[in-house]
Amino acid sequence: MKMSIKRKTLYGAVALLLFTCPCIPGNAADGPEMVELGSLTQYYEPVQFDHELHVGMIESNECAICHHHTLGTPVLDPVCQRCHASSGETDFVACRDCHPAKRFSAEYLAVLEEDINLFHLEKPGLQGAFHQNCLECHKEYGAPTGCQDCHVRSEKGDKFFYSGEYAPEPADNSSGH
Amino acid sequence: MKKIDRRKFLKGSLAGGVVAAATGTTKKAHSAYSFEGYPDSMGVLVDLTKCVGCRTCEAACNKEQGLPAPDKPFDDMSVYDEHRHGGLKRRTSEKAYTVVNRYDIPEKGEPVYRKFQCNHCNEPACLTSCFVNAYTKTKEGAVIYDPKVCVGCRTCMIACPFYVPAYSYSSPIDPVIKKCIMCYDTRLKFGKPPACVEACPREVMTFGKREDLIKIGNQKIRTTPDRYVNHIYGEHEVGGTAWMYLSSVPFDQVGFDTKLGTQPIISYVKDFLAIVPMVLCIWPALFTGFHLLAHRKNARQQDNQTVKSKKEEGHE
Amino acid sequence: MNKVAGVGYVPIDTNYKENNEKWSVKEKIFLGLSPAEYFRRQAANPFNWILWVIYAVGVPVLIARFIFGLGWATHSSYDYPWGLFLSWGLFTMVPLSASGFMMGTTVELFGRKDFKPIERLGLLNGLLGYFFAVVFLQVDLGQPWRLIYPMFVSLGPAAVLFLVAWHVATYLSVQIAELVPAFSEWMGLPRAKKFIKSIVLGLTVAGIILSTLHQGALGALFTYAPGKLHPLWFSAEFMWIHFLTSAIFGGLSMLIVVSTLSKWFLSWRCDENFLGSLDKLTLGIAKGASLALITYLVIKAIAVAHDNEWGYLLTGWGQYFTFEIVVGTIVPLILFTYAVRNQNAGVARFAAFITVLGIALNRMNTALVAYNWKLYQEIPHWREFVIALMLYATYVVVYRAILVRMPILYTWKSDTTS
Repeated sequence: MKMSIKRKTLYGAVALLLFTCPCIPGNAADGPEMVELGSLTQYYEPVQFDHELHVGMIESNECAICHHHTLGTPVLDPVCQRCHASSGETDFVACRDCHPAKRFSAEYLAVLEEDINLFHLEKPGLQGAFHQNCLECHKEYGAPTGCQDCHVRSEKGDKFFYSGEYAPEPADNSSGH
Repeated sequence: MKKIDRRKFLKGSLAGGVVAAATGTTKKAHSAYSFEGYPDSMGVLVDLTKCVGCRTCEAACNKEQGLPAPDKPFDDMSVYDEHRHGGLKRRTSEKAYTVVNRYDIPEKGEPVYRKFQCNHCNEPACLTSCFVNAYTKTKEGAVIYDPKVCVGCRTCMIACPFYVPAYSYSSPIDPVIKKCIMCYDTRLKFGKPPACVEACPREVMTFGKREDLIKIGNQKIRTTPDRYVNHIYGEHEVGGTAWMYLSSVPFDQVGFDTKLGTQPIISYVKDFLAIVPMVLCIWPALFTGFHLLAHRKNARQQDNQTVKSKKEEGHE
Repeated sequence: MNKVAGVGYVPIDTNYKENNEKWSVKEKIFLGLSPAEYFRRQAANPFNWILWVIYAVGVPVLIARFIFGLGWATHSSYDYPWGLFLSWGLFTMVPLSASGFMMGTTVELFGRKDFKPIERLGLLNGLLGYFFAVVFLQVDLGQPWRLIYPMFVSLGPAAVLFLVAWHVATYLSVQIAELVPAFSEWMGLPRAKKFIKSIVLGLTVAGIILSTLHQGALGALFTYAPGKLHPLWFSAEFMWIHFLTSAIFGGLSMLIVVSTLSKWFLSWRCDENFLGSLDKLTLGIAKGASLALITYLVIKAIAVAHDNEWGYLLTGWGQYFTFEIVVGTIVPLILFTYAVRNQNAGVARFAAFITVLGIALNRMNTALVAYNWKLYQEIPHWREFVIALMLYATYVVVYRAILVRMPILYTWKSDTTS
């Protein structure tokens, strides 16, 4: 079932790719084909992110949808445009280069504290960045949004969620009221 | 129309004036003192607009706090259709220190999810109502609880304006209060965020110094005003809470009590607490005085009699 | 008229029998009968049959409450931490026991010696009411064995309940001391009585202070729940005054009720001094109760005006509130006034019964019905009713046991002669 959804998406994407083929710009090819997202995994297997597939779904100059201003393509959000209309390409473009893996560690909070001129106070951590960015788009375009549509849950995850073979016995309603 | 309004107004203000004069108290008396929280205390800003109701926070809390197995798996979304007594949505319990509820807002295309747990008040009602001092507000901002001294009177549950503390009624030997302690023992004390914050895939929660979170909240509202209602719930409610919330819909539509006011709960109790020393000091003198007054007549009669009898004795 | 119940018991009211032989403690305890005869008479009393039924059901449920926990015995929940044990046992019993300090004040402090015949009944009503309030509390506490923690182990002096705990504990000892004379007469220990007599003023003033504060404090406990208790019942400023003033007429009315029951069912134990002056005293107490009632009504109205809650009176909650006020205070006030005007003790007794029910209604409404008015209303578990009934039956049994023995309703003979 889940696989079929995935496959459907894949077919759709391939179709989209075929139709928009002539428009694929040179710079998109600079990106990687597949990216393994697994630095944070605890309860799930690493995600194989098909970068090429997603690049194929957008216009050539729409990298900012995910990469904000870092690739030099025009930023789309008018609020961002105020500063980043022509801020140019940056040296680092991977998500993890800007979005910290440990967003709420004491060390990182101290870094934020020190920089009194810092504007992006609310910049999410890496995990937040992935799920906020990916999921919003998936919701918007009707792509899968369930946790296990993208992630394969490990046994540790089943245990964590009390699911699968760790599911609780159907209990009588004894938990107070 | 206007005449009636004015008359009504005059009547009302007259009555109010009489009452105020009669009692001599005004609402302002409450605001004379308030505790704004420890300067560097931490907090969490919950952005409801980001929550998708995956319940990972509930699972993380369960694991971190070593709570018993849930009734249903944490990936079972049917819990959102559960209703308990009074048609109410799920609440915190002895088995769950945090709970996410779904609210279907007709005007919005998608449901709004709301996570809640102990809000870790600046001036906690539970703490001020506890007669064995079982609660502590730590400098990190957590409201923690010592089960070893708890007598089980459950006044803290009466006092908590958010209906947070639960009680292990099922235990006959060692029933205690069960509530979120912001992972104080295992994480917060060591500068780490609570387990739910770290586990949340969408980073619905932002952990940081409370004062910084208010800045972040205001910046979010300012930069994306159509995403949020212009209010940070918990910035001022009942004297301010360490956990605060941003929402896209009015807070009363997603299970928040918006009528709690900004006074900490203890300020409602202060009227009584203020009279305690007065009674202790004045009553003994006052009532002993009454006693003397009541008996003066008798005493005087006795005096007169003795004087009389002495005189008579002298005459004789 | 109701001598039937008492027939056969010897109304011992002196240390010596007619043949100058001393009554033994055992004889005093068994009311001048042999144990076998005493128990035979007890078994013949239909009222005791009812008690046995209550105990047959109640004792197992009470024991099971401590085995299976509060969750089994009560409907106490996360939303409703307090149930029948506290709303009835603590919040209703304590104001109905305010008679102790009222009578102490009237007789010892204001020197109204004419109330002397009913003073000890007032004191006993106070002591037993408080003692059983603590018993009810013990059944409700999650860990009753830690009751002394707020006293000595871990102190939370800023809490209202801390004040209640300390004051109820202190006041219990004050009341015990105040009743030592009755006990010492009965047991033939005159020295204890002499000592208490020397400190009676101090005890009485202590009683007033402690009563003022803890009666008020019980009300103030609800000021912790401004958003939970319905605004008509809630008042941050006046809550404690409401509880204090209503305790005054509640305690006085309870005293009238108890004296009436004593007159009806224990007349063999009452002496002429008590029975002869009771109508007059009842009217005197009724006068005091009506003054407290009108004070209460005025402050209640001020509280509604102060928070501008007139609008609530038109809602369903307002009608219920009005019902409580009319039935619990206005009707008794009218009856009390009528009784005093027409010197009709019977009407005053009827009014006192209603007032006692009115106090119960008010305290139950505050602690259970109007609490969580925005959520839902909780009905206590049937086991709560069973346990509460059993504890209250025990209160009646102890009450009766003391009344028929110690010089409460009668004057000890050797005392009058010496």
